[in-house]
Amino acid sequence: MRQANRKDKKYIDKKEQYPQIQPTSLPHGRDRRLGILYFFVVFAVLVFFGIRLVLLESETLLRAQELNLWLPTGLYWKTIMQYPGGAASWLSTYLTQYFYYPWLGVTILCGLWLAICGLLAWVYRLRGPWTMLTLLVPLALLASIVQTGYWIYYMKLQGHFFVPTIGVLYATLCLVIQRLLNSYLPKKVARYAQYGWMVLVCVIGYPFFGAWALGATGLLALSPKPKYWPLGISVLLIAAVPQIYYQQVFEMTERSFIYVAALPSFRYGNGSYEVYRIPYYAILATFLILVAINVCECFSFAKQMKSWHRSLIAIILVATAIFGVNRAWYHDSNFQKELAMNRAIEELDWERVLTIARDGSSDIKPTRQMVMYKNLALFRLGRAGSEMFFYPEGAVQQNAPWKVRMTQIGGKLIYYHYGKENFCYRWCMEDGVEFGWKAEFLKFMARTSILNQEWTVARKYLDLLKKTTFHRRWAERYEKYLATPDAFNLEKLEASVKAGQPLLDDKGMKEFAPILHMMTYPDRLDGDNTLVEMYLLQTFAKGNGDDPLFQEMTLICSLIMKDIDLFWPRFMKFANMHPTIHMPLHYQEAAYLYGHLENKVDISKMPFDQNVRDTYDRFMAFNDQCGPMSEEQKAIAFYPQFGNTFYYFYFLVRNQKTN
Amino acid sequence: MKSYIKHFIQMVSLGLTHTTPYRIGRAWGAFFLFSLLFIACSPSVPDSFVEVDALPAIYPDYINVTVPVNIAPLHFHIDSEAEAADFVTRFTAGAEEWAIEGEDVRPGLKRWQQMKAAALKANGQITIEVFIQQDGQWQRRKPFSITISKDSIDPYISYRLISPSYVTYEDLTINQRCLENFEESLIYGNMINSDEENGQCINCHHAQWYNPNRVQFHVRQYLGGTVIAYDDKLQKINLKTDSTISAGVYPTWHPTKPWIVYSTNSTGQSFHTRDAQKIEVQDTKSNLIFYNLETNEVTPITRDTTDLDCFPFWSPDGKYIYYVSCHWERRDTLQMDFEFIKHYKDVQYNLYRKPFDEKTLTFGPRELMYDAIARNRSVTLPRVSPDGRWLMFTEGQFGVFHIWHSDADLFLMDLTQAEPTEPTLVTRFNTKNLPDEYYAHTKNNVELDHIVDSLNEAQGAQHALPASIRNIQELNSSDVESWHCWSSNGAWVIFSSRRDDGNFTRPFIAHHDGNGHFAHPFELPQDNPQYHRQFMRSYNIPEFLSGPVTIKPQEFATIIKKDATPAQLRISDKAIDGHTAASPKAPK
Repeated sequence: MRQANRKDKKYIDKKEQYPQIQPTSLPHGRDRRLGILYFFVVFAVLVFFGIRLVLLESETLLRAQELNLWLPTGLYWKTIMQYPGGAASWLSTYLTQYFYYPWLGVTILCGLWLAICGLLAWVYRLRGPWTMLTLLVPLALLASIVQTGYWIYYMKLQGHFFVPTIGVLYATLCLVIQRLLNSYLPKKVARYAQYGWMVLVCVIGYPFFGAWALGATGLLALSPKPKYWPLGISVLLIAAVPQIYYQQVFEMTERSFIYVAALPSFRYGNGSYEVYRIPYYAILATFLILVAINVCECFSFAKQMKSWHRSLIAIILVATAIFGVNRAWYHDSNFQKELAMNRAIEELDWERVLTIARDGSSDIKPTRQMVMYKNLALFRLGRAGSEMFFYPEGAVQQNAPWKVRMTQIGGKLIYYHYGKENFCYRWCMEDGVEFGWKAEFLKFMARTSILNQEWTVARKYLDLLKKTTFHRRWAERYEKYLATPDAFNLEKLEASVKAGQPLLDDKGMKEFAPILHMMTYPDRLDGDNTLVEMYLLQTFAKGNGDDPLFQEMTLICSLIMKDIDLFWPRFMKFANMHPTIHMPLHYQEAAYLYGHLENKVDISKMPFDQNVRDTYDRFMAFNDQCGPMSEEQKAIAFYPQFGNTFYYFYFLVRNQKTN
Repeated sequence: MKSYIKHFIQMVSLGLTHTTPYRIGRAWGAFFLFSLLFIACSPSVPDSFVEVDALPAIYPDYINVTVPVNIAPLHFHIDSEAEAADFVTRFTAGAEEWAIEGEDVRPGLKRWQQMKAAALKANGQITIEVFIQQDGQWQRRKPFSITISKDSIDPYISYRLISPSYVTYEDLTINQRCLENFEESLIYGNMINSDEENGQCINCHHAQWYNPNRVQFHVRQYLGGTVIAYDDKLQKINLKTDSTISAGVYPTWHPTKPWIVYSTNSTGQSFHTRDAQKIEVQDTKSNLIFYNLETNEVTPITRDTTDLDCFPFWSPDGKYIYYVSCHWERRDTLQMDFEFIKHYKDVQYNLYRKPFDEKTLTFGPRELMYDAIARNRSVTLPRVSPDGRWLMFTEGQFGVFHIWHSDADLFLMDLTQAEPTEPTLVTRFNTKNLPDEYYAHTKNNVELDHIVDSLNEAQGAQHALPASIRNIQELNSSDVESWHCWSSNGAWVIFSSRRDDGNFTRPFIAHHDGNGHFAHPFELPQDNPQYHRQFMRSYNIPEFLSGPVTIKPQEFATIIKKDATPAQLRISDKAIDGHTAASPKAPK
């Protein structure tokens, strides 16, 4: 009996010492079962969005991992930790690598989100329908990813796809530990432990997680419910800790950035794009909602709420969040096509580039970047002269609120394949400095260095790539070329091909040989003023080469520039260099047109195809019929019949503003 | 597993030593490192091995180098040509021996001190033998040595770290490094005062006679100005005046007085389309100015628009300013920058000096010290040794910014033998004035360019190098050597070289015997021997310092945020040699 009393007393003492854990929902078994069901709903929604992410955004995710770099070196860690929040970026760049297989990266992402949901449900003691509210956090995180669009090229925060998830996970784990402290320590000790924990989370966490550590500190003060002292301490910590770190530790961070470290800035040039910050405000708001639910459940009105009331509120909030995600989701067919074409070019699948260029599923005209990809593919297939104007022309600006430059998106790839290796290298270096080093840049720098016969520096970039998780195989493939320096001397390469023993393997021949042909021009000092297309057109059109491939490019560019004086000598030279081939259609059209426009060159003895003559005659006749029409009206009227001719391009395609 | 352990050690030891937040975990790193070392067996040199008559391939190249007594440990990596199973390296100094296992040979500070002490007691040499195990068989590569010189080196260097980029300059820092260990710290980094809209370039750091308390550097664009720390006074000055080309650019302090001579430059850069040198940095205008820190006055020294005067350097006795100059008369284009781009190979600089009168603060007429143009060469960056006897400069074929010229080499002039000379009139070949036979046999423009280059080269070769000057072959490589600095005792030089990979500049240090000869140079030691292979930034302007700059980056940031004090223009009526002299106002 005495023993029993002691036990009872111990039980009572324990109850007094430990804080009461308030159930926030009805503790019935039925609701527990429902809770599991609701968590299954959470799981199902995440799986749904995960699948959607893979299906809709695979190209974006693939490019995101190319525009990412994680290295297992002390130097990389040192570099990234120069700024507050470096560890969040370090972890995020590590995880971003897994988008190499989009399904794998998305699985990791969804797994982390599910873990966050589960932990938040436990931390905030959410049961029953409230469990669904944990979805608000991953939905806000999802919105932060799917809104990205052209920011993937411009974001300076390394690993930006994963940083919010890592930040939220950090805050959640801090809350978990706090709840454990509250649960297992005596009440008085727990209170001081909470203060100590809050200080640790902020002081130790700030250099590693930046603003996310400040957010976690604030959430700790609000959990399990807001109290004056913890709130006061957290405000003090949030205000003071970044300042102290600024004064004593971080020597490379601007003072105004210290409170937003490890958050994306969404500023570029002179513009600040607030709308992209909404998902980040939403993350904060969802936490406040969870705190509010937790607090409200203590009041009698909440206890009187029926389960369906809670379900309704939860469903409304989740539905609103889903609506928000869909609103934030960046949909732009040109963006997706640019990504797909870029990948096809990287895989040297030129026909796929043309298939994407032909895709008429959208009414939107192409960007200049897409037109350049298409022209490159046709040039590589040797069909530019006969098909160049068979594809839609356009100069639609990239769908972004700032001026997107080709140098930042696909210009490097274009320069690389047109033999402007120094300019490709240059923009990799510029953008590497501006936006941080990416695997994509290192790949270009390695390849341009190989083509420039700078073997040691090529090895440097390949060695760095070999340290990455997924680009090692790529680097090893290109590393083999370092052993065959003669292969990058065009004369020796061609001699080896003639002898039947090519110095390059099939892939190497397919990739490098045409580029080596394009590099047969004398060195001079120059600059592109960030206008890739204009620079290429100007330099090739005015170039004068003896290499057949290079020479044809000079002809193509004089054609696109509609420069009659430049066209004729290049046309004649092309004809002399290729006496046995049938003159491609567009070259004939241009010669026939220019011959009629100016009588500087006698075209009467040139063997034009009959359809070239007929089309020209029909074009002129139709023009007479459409006499009073404006140029814009003519462009529409002529397109069905003549849209695939040089005549149409010459007269009716104007103002193709390049970027 | 082994690679993970190695990687972990690398992460802990490299990262922790340099990153401030990483220092938080330093104790943990040290603990784990200690544990790992404790667990690991101490390595031993194999008893039986095959002798291989070849030196080991190591990076950095520390084979048979001479190093100062106070230098940090020379850590190196063994590049094995085939898959090797194991590596052991034996260090021997006097009667003492140390063995280190692994392809990264890192003796560490304490053992390195022991090695140096033992070497100095004996013949001054540390002998190093590398043993490599391949296919179960140990091989011993030919031993090499590191000579420990009793000549010490200034304990610190400062340098700017910059990606060899073109227009962008995020993450640009001026750093200092203790040469006695691996500690590196920031003097100032541009990101502390930069944001998305407002970028900042920082450059041309320079100290007065190795004094870390008297330093200056420039901030360009956002919050621009020249930051000058002079003993306890830190200020930001705007050196641009209405009568000068620009604010101060390349500086040289008077050895003792608060005077700085700067060049003022209008600089641009353009890009090679094919050449691996990639960039050409050119001045279209440049002159010299004199800045008196006490009176905050700027006085033009040279103002001739047809002379491009650049890279001044004050002789240690303060009696001369050495500098380089290019005479350029406008040729055929409307815009000067196009003209320079078009004829960039014809832009060549000679070496001059001007006497300086400390009492009147006036500069005398210029004297031609080396007619490099006659030899179809171009010189830059004159630097006089502290004893005033030797002048080191960089020579390349054209231009003034030789860090981008792979043919740039270091040359040494013995000032005790050098005499002022007269310039030779030279007419260069170009693609339009070649003898007719060349046009007939030339296939294309590329060939024509080569012919012009070789004819000009042959023309220059007719002029011999003056007896007072020699190519410092023992320091030069097939790639760039430039940006050199003498140590305060004249026993060492530090210079920049791109010999590692042709793209990234690394500092190299070499011993000077006092008679104009140098030992084989060695690359700046790093804790992680492969650090420079991974590092994506170049070292600019390595300069010796007698100690660390103690002003914190945040203090520099605060002064930079403030408005710059405008310097006052002072123009003297006294014209010398066609140029206006500095103000004859005596210092306080």
